[in-house]
Amino acid sequence: MATLKAIRRRIASVQSTQQVTRAMKLVSAAKLRRAQEALLNDRPYAEGLSRLAGSLLAGQTMEPPPGAKKTALIAVISSDRGLCGGYNANLLRQAEEQAAQLRSQGLQVSFFAVGRKAADHFKRTGALVAGQQINNAPRLATVELANSIADMMLNEFRAGNYEQTAVIYSHFHSALSQRPTYERILPVESGKQTAAGVGGPSDYLIEPSRAELIPLIIQSYAQSAVYHALLEAEASEHAARMTAMDAASNNAADMISRLTLEMNRARQAGITRELMDIVGGAEALSA
Amino acid sequence: MAQEALPFKLITPTGVLFDDAVREVIAVNPLGEFGVLPEHVNYVTAVVPCVVTVKLNDGTFRLFVVSGGLAEVKDGVLTILASSAETAEAVVEGEALSQEIVAAEQRLQGISFYEPAYHNALKAVQLARARELAVRLRAQVR
Repeated sequence: MATLKAIRRRIASVQSTQQVTRAMKLVSAAKLRRAQEALLNDRPYAEGLSRLAGSLLAGQTMEPPPGAKKTALIAVISSDRGLCGGYNANLLRQAEEQAAQLRSQGLQVSFFAVGRKAADHFKRTGALVAGQQINNAPRLATVELANSIADMMLNEFRAGNYEQTAVIYSHFHSALSQRPTYERILPVESGKQTAAGVGGPSDYLIEPSRAELIPLIIQSYAQSAVYHALLEAEASEHAARMTAMDAASNNAADMISRLTLEMNRARQAGITRELMDIVGGAEALSA
Repeated sequence: MAQEALPFKLITPTGVLFDDAVREVIAVNPLGEFGVLPEHVNYVTAVVPCVVTVKLNDGTFRLFVVSGGLAEVKDGVLTILASSAETAEAVVEGEALSQEIVAAEQRLQGISFYEPAYHNALKAVQLARARELAVRLRAQVR
């Protein structure tokens, strides 16, 4: 049985861990609220753009240039830091599954890692990495980052280096549930446009011309899709961290109560032992 | 009876910056400046980085700097979807702004027209100039 002193030290250590996890949970909750707000703010833009893309592209997609390499680019949006439960593990598993599926279709798969966790993972597995982005910034989802990723995808796609590009991110369902999601960015999926599209392009007067406008719409659409993925990933990360830290705080509380019980028992045992010694000593004297 | 007001929305990925009925909106597309009045036909155009001038119903003006995007008139409602936008009042004038223009222009000089980066460099120059213009215009409309 552990000594009283050792148990006391153990309790103090668990308590300070609990303080940290509780603080992290509160911070994540605040960040989650902000991320959810950003997700809501993006909605009018994304809806407006997809409606416009729907009516202007009208089922027309941008095909990869002839002779494009049989390669797919997957941008994996992970977090820079850990302590967020199974968030990164689930995401990376989904990425590997998706990559295996693409490989079975005869495509080579190259990754673009966003966040340190994905970058480390692909370094370990030795996968083909096209690039990485570790920002360590307080906000993951910025328009600038989204635009740079989307523009990189567009340029490489136009140059024929990739036949398709996609993102994998955690879709934010609720604070308790986030699901890794695979979304193709280029070529733009035709199903999405027709779903939102009402009326043909003939309804509009178009300047400068339809042919000149379509690349811009596709660019905006790709940027918006990547930005949306970043927003979802950011909200998911904070939600996952909040849940994980909540569980950790609860576990710490359980552990503290268990250790306190043990400590009390050890103290009582000590007192009993001392009493026995005194009684034994007194009896020895009187005898 | 002619419709008196033009419902106008300025939307960016970070939120809706403006949403009200106005008299007129002036922006710039690749062909030059264009204005939208109430009862405009359905219309789609690209918007280059520029100052968007909004004439409100009380005759005063509101200025916005947008970094490019798309404008759409559908059923008499004008929507500008900009990748980013700010009010003219938010532009900070001074040394940093003129340095921004010089830096953007220098970057553009170093890039060939055929490179993919040219388009973004050009947009940066247009945006920097639009911000400078916004600073000058906001002093006039006040």
